[in-house]
Amino acid sequence: MIFFRRQLPLIITFLMGAMFALQYYIPHPVSEGAITAVSNWMQIITGFAMILGIASLFHVHFLKIKRQVPGWGYSLILYLGMIITMIVGFASHGDTTIDGGQTMFGWIYDYTMVPLQATMFSILAFFIASAAYRAFRARSREAAVLLSAAVVVMMGRVPLGQFLLPFTWDITQWLLNVVNSAVRRAILIGVSMGAVALSIKIILGIERSYLGGGKDH
Amino acid sequence: MISIDRRIIFLLIALATLLPLLHPFGLPIKVSPEVQVIYDYIENLPEGSVFLLSFDFDPSSKPELEPQAIALLRHAFRKNLRVIGMTHWLPGTALADSIFSRVAAETGKKPGKDYVFLGWSPGAGSLIISMGQDLYKAFPTDYYKNPTKGMPVLEGVRNLRDVNYLISLAAGSAGIEMWYVFGKDKYRFEMGGGSTGVIAPGLYPFLRSGQINGLIGGLQGAAEYETLIARNGTAIAGMDAQSATHMVIIILVLLCNLFYFILRNEKEGPM
Amino acid sequence: MSGQLPTAMVLGAWVATGLTLLIFSFLYKDNPLFKVGEHLYVGVSVGYSVVLTYYTVFNRLLSVPLSKEIAEKPMAPGSYVLLIPALLGLLMWARFFPKIAWLSRISFAFVVGFGSGVAIPRTISSYILKQIEDTVNPLITLLNGGLSFSMNFAVPQSGINTIILVIGVTSVLFYFFFSIEHTGPANAVARTGIFFLMIAFGAAFGYTVMSRMSLLIGRFDDLIAYSSKDFGYPTIILLGLIIFGLWYWQRHNIDKPEGNS
Repeated sequence: MIFFRRQLPLIITFLMGAMFALQYYIPHPVSEGAITAVSNWMQIITGFAMILGIASLFHVHFLKIKRQVPGWGYSLILYLGMIITMIVGFASHGDTTIDGGQTMFGWIYDYTMVPLQATMFSILAFFIASAAYRAFRARSREAAVLLSAAVVVMMGRVPLGQFLLPFTWDITQWLLNVVNSAVRRAILIGVSMGAVALSIKIILGIERSYLGGGKDH
Repeated sequence: MISIDRRIIFLLIALATLLPLLHPFGLPIKVSPEVQVIYDYIENLPEGSVFLLSFDFDPSSKPELEPQAIALLRHAFRKNLRVIGMTHWLPGTALADSIFSRVAAETGKKPGKDYVFLGWSPGAGSLIISMGQDLYKAFPTDYYKNPTKGMPVLEGVRNLRDVNYLISLAAGSAGIEMWYVFGKDKYRFEMGGGSTGVIAPGLYPFLRSGQINGLIGGLQGAAEYETLIARNGTAIAGMDAQSATHMVIIILVLLCNLFYFILRNEKEGPM
Repeated sequence: MSGQLPTAMVLGAWVATGLTLLIFSFLYKDNPLFKVGEHLYVGVSVGYSVVLTYYTVFNRLLSVPLSKEIAEKPMAPGSYVLLIPALLGLLMWARFFPKIAWLSRISFAFVVGFGSGVAIPRTISSYILKQIEDTVNPLITLLNGGLSFSMNFAVPQSGINTIILVIGVTSVLFYFFFSIEHTGPANAVARTGIFFLMIAFGAAFGYTVMSRMSLLIGRFDDLIAYSSKDFGYPTIILLGLIIFGLWYWQRHNIDKPEGNS
């Protein structure tokens, strides 16, 4: 039994990892057929995995409503939003438009989901302005460099800034294409090496935290 | 530092956004080389070429990426390219469909014949590999549940190797980098990118190395593309407000530092 | 706009405007109106995700192709191959039942193993080799029969920019290398790396400001569009109602804005 709980998953990880890492270098039809099939299977399995997260959310808010903890009314609103959207969605067979016309499901998407999601992130504009005033001080040389680069880019990327100080456009282009590229490249190389090392550790069974689902791994 | 109630700052930002939208001043838009490259590439594609546009964003990035999508689709349809649309982002599926349908309708293009919207499928990297191996296995039907096999617009297209140009409009992960790593690296199609301002600086290494041939960054990038296709849209309309808000932020930052240095000198002065 | 707008569109405008202003009410203070909008956002998003996942995965990718294959070739083993990912997906759901939760490890092993395996060669090729290749561009080029070193800052591939790029990449990589102490010459290299990092972060901040402001411009665009007579002035009326609601809540202190979600 221990073999099925502990060793079998690690063996599967190793076989899958090694096989599909090598597959990249083997253009044989059998190898290509394998990746065609398995990548298609992954699409299906990912769909099942998405339900895991959703079920967890269902459960958390269901408990809040059941126990009537402070603020349970908001959980009820969440539940109602979820259930109504699902009922309408299944009634519309998942279609947001039909013969060029909008379904009820499409209406809910366009007039509730889109404005809510768009507005939620747009309020960050206000907070970034407030934070810029409160915290963006040139306390040190490094901070002064950061500040100057930020001001130049903010000027250089808008028509008014390009009109008032035309050289900010050229400096912005140079900062982005040379200095910024250098930094991002270095970070990318470093992070990628870490990611490759982690993938190798997972395949070799050294890193096992992804298994979860019980005590013995 | 002289403290200002943050709600006054919020009001300043609100006014700086609202007033130029109501009374635009219309400054010219300068086009950057990275946007010009994408325009030139599409302009030089022969009629009937396969152009795949991946709407890798959701409604939270709509103001930046929708104008880019509309401008690119208008250009692609004007050039009579065969356009394939899809998305990696589930919450953005219906939004992508509405953008696609709207621009197609305005340009008189027919679904199935001139364009197809495949919709969403899970998997991200696995999806791209699946499309690279066999497009019809990855998307057996389009968003409207029509079988993809046998569609006139997909004639001769078996997988990603048959795509002439791909652009990913990305708001984050499951976007441009993923398309390159799991797509272009093996299946060798040409690709460009459009992105939000937040992730644009991180994509410059790919632009410099030629992994993507061009980059449309944020609302400014969308405005540049609208200028190139000579068709004003929401991006150009929004640039005046963008200018005004940037100036407000710059003034706030300069004020913050002015107060900081004055107060610091006052503290150090008597000593 | 001319002509009567469809009722669904007018109703939608009122709902969209109201929800937008509910979220914006957070700018005054965390309040019950914002919380309603926030929870509704999560609920509707999850509902939409469930419906789309069902029709895309369980219907389009699984049951339709599977039933088609079985109908065409019922005796061929290959027709049943999609049962494998279906089984693996179901095993994932074993996580909900503590006694058999360990079965989900088989699915996760399959998925994570595949993901790690495909990522390794592709990551090395795209993120490491290709990036290093572009960093070591030639400094001197052959031009008009003679050697040339370009000092043109405007061209990213010029000689001078390549030198700056190499210095930037190596100094930033060195800055994050903590296995040796950053003293003496090492300190000079690390400090150069910090200088490059600060410029990049400043540029990133500038772009982030641009991005966030664009999002706000988009919302204001919609609010302005919905403030017209055709829709019945929802922006103005609902703005007034929300301001009144906030005043009433503030004055009567009906609900305390403690975090509870």
